[in-house]
Amino acid sequence: MASPLKLFYMAVWREILTLTRYKANFVFEILTSLLFAFGMLVFAVAFDVSVLGQTVGSTNYVAFVTLGLSFQSWQGIALWNAAGRFQGELSTGQIDYTFSCPFSRYWYVTSNIAASAILSILFFAPMLSVGLWFTKETITMEGLLLGLVATLVSVASLAQLGTVFASLVLRYRQVTAVFGFFNFAFQILTGMLVPFQLLPLPLRVIGYGMPQTFGMDLLRYYAMRTKPIMPVEYEWISLFAQLAILSLLAKLAIVYLERTAKEQGLHYI
Amino acid sequence: MGLGDAIVCQNLAKEYGGAKAVKALDDVSFSVAKREVFGLLGPNGAGKTTLVKIMATLLKATSGTAQVGGYDIDKEEGKVRSIIGYAGQDSERSAYFRLSVRENLVYFAHALRDVPIDAVKERISLVASAIGFSDRLDRHFIALSGGEKQLVIVMRAIMHDPEVCFLDEPSKSLDPVTARNVRTFLKSYAQEHGMTMLLTTHNMKEAEESCDRLAFINHGRLQFLGTPSEFKKRVTVKEIIEIGVPKLDGNVESKLLKIEGISNMTNEPNVRLYCDDAFKALSEVLAVLSSEGLKVPVRMVEPSLEDAFAFFLENDEAR
Repeated sequence: MASPLKLFYMAVWREILTLTRYKANFVFEILTSLLFAFGMLVFAVAFDVSVLGQTVGSTNYVAFVTLGLSFQSWQGIALWNAAGRFQGELSTGQIDYTFSCPFSRYWYVTSNIAASAILSILFFAPMLSVGLWFTKETITMEGLLLGLVATLVSVASLAQLGTVFASLVLRYRQVTAVFGFFNFAFQILTGMLVPFQLLPLPLRVIGYGMPQTFGMDLLRYYAMRTKPIMPVEYEWISLFAQLAILSLLAKLAIVYLERTAKEQGLHYI
Repeated sequence: MGLGDAIVCQNLAKEYGGAKAVKALDDVSFSVAKREVFGLLGPNGAGKTTLVKIMATLLKATSGTAQVGGYDIDKEEGKVRSIIGYAGQDSERSAYFRLSVRENLVYFAHALRDVPIDAVKERISLVASAIGFSDRLDRHFIALSGGEKQLVIVMRAIMHDPEVCFLDEPSKSLDPVTARNVRTFLKSYAQEHGMTMLLTTHNMKEAEESCDRLAFINHGRLQFLGTPSEFKKRVTVKEIIEIGVPKLDGNVESKLLKIEGISNMTNEPNVRLYCDDAFKALSEVLAVLSSEGLKVPVRMVEPSLEDAFAFFLENDEAR
């Protein structure tokens, strides 16, 4: 049986080949990330930061949003990449071949997500660089490392949710509306674009259950010295607890949903 | 399961759907010996693909059991997957379009089948050279014709040297010459490497040339199991007189059908008269043609697998 490491590095190899062969898309992927980074620089001049200062303890909105957007580039990959891959494989019929092969479905999905996340550094790196430039007065090397670790753990948790979504594709085939519903929730309820502290209490309760909330909050805390939404120790514990619980859920989901999908066959309907 | 069996199916059944359930397989039992090339014949919707998918661990049977290579397809699906090769029907789009043929084969065999990279490269050269594909290995998959893509899918199915290979209509979309080359290659490959092969096909020539044994399946039921020659012998009409024209005048046709022993007539591609004793009927057929002033070639032919296929199908529909 192929090892998770081999599934991962071969997926990276395949993704790099594919990415560079769709040349226009490849060029525009880089241009878009630079454009966003430039846009944020311009945005810095015009924004009223007083509200932000009252809620998160920093008036640096550009850094606040830029770090959020850089996070979002990984969030998109972690959550939707595997589902999109399965949908593609279902429509081309490739899934029949891949699922006749002896490898762990869980590691196949998570390796492919990780491979795509590596490539999405193309977008993540310029955005993060701009965000960090605006935090140069508050950030330290230790803070940067801790912020990145928090981001990685949070993205790893999201990849588990992505595995659950991919499993839903196996079972229900067309789940675009499910994606849309969760995407909205993930963008609004996690404090990605607006301060988490501004959300009404019922929405904050939902937000606490989402891995992005603590990942992003810790990244901003370490980079910008913002007010954390709860003591950082609790945020770290919550982050790792979410990773453990979601990993278990993802493994169970993919096993269960592959079994039920086999009742009807793995073709696209 | 016998010691020499690579595939054993026992009372397999499969129903799709809930309230309006469709029975795709109904109590199918058979076995395939190790190293045997086994053909599954049947019309569209007969249940062939369902059967192959169940054995390739892609679909769950409603009831019954099956073993592949001695492993239970339900309880030991990982072990089954490690010894099988699989090429599904309509797979011409089932590889990475922007990767070359070589890159696709490396990815599938090395990443998903855990074949060492050097062995993969060696096998790509070996297989591609055997089927005359070496000059196209570095072309992108998207740039290949439908038939060429199908060849890549067949190559992918055997790239890891499987013990048992399931090929669902492997010669679909192939031109006759390429189809023959692939048949010849697969047959000799199976013999040399001790591979058991189960293929589904509508192509009677393929079944006759490639398969040691056949199963005929229709409406999910197994209707025949035996060698291609036994299959042909099951046709109740033993002999055929073929007249070398596609159609005859209606008056001539009715005279021919009145000859004793002639039970039926078809005219695709040539006029064919089905009878119990062709030798006995031949002189009367010649007399009718002569009296009508027709100088056309006439010959006695053996029933083909195609005739047997049509016979089984008609008999099943009539039941």
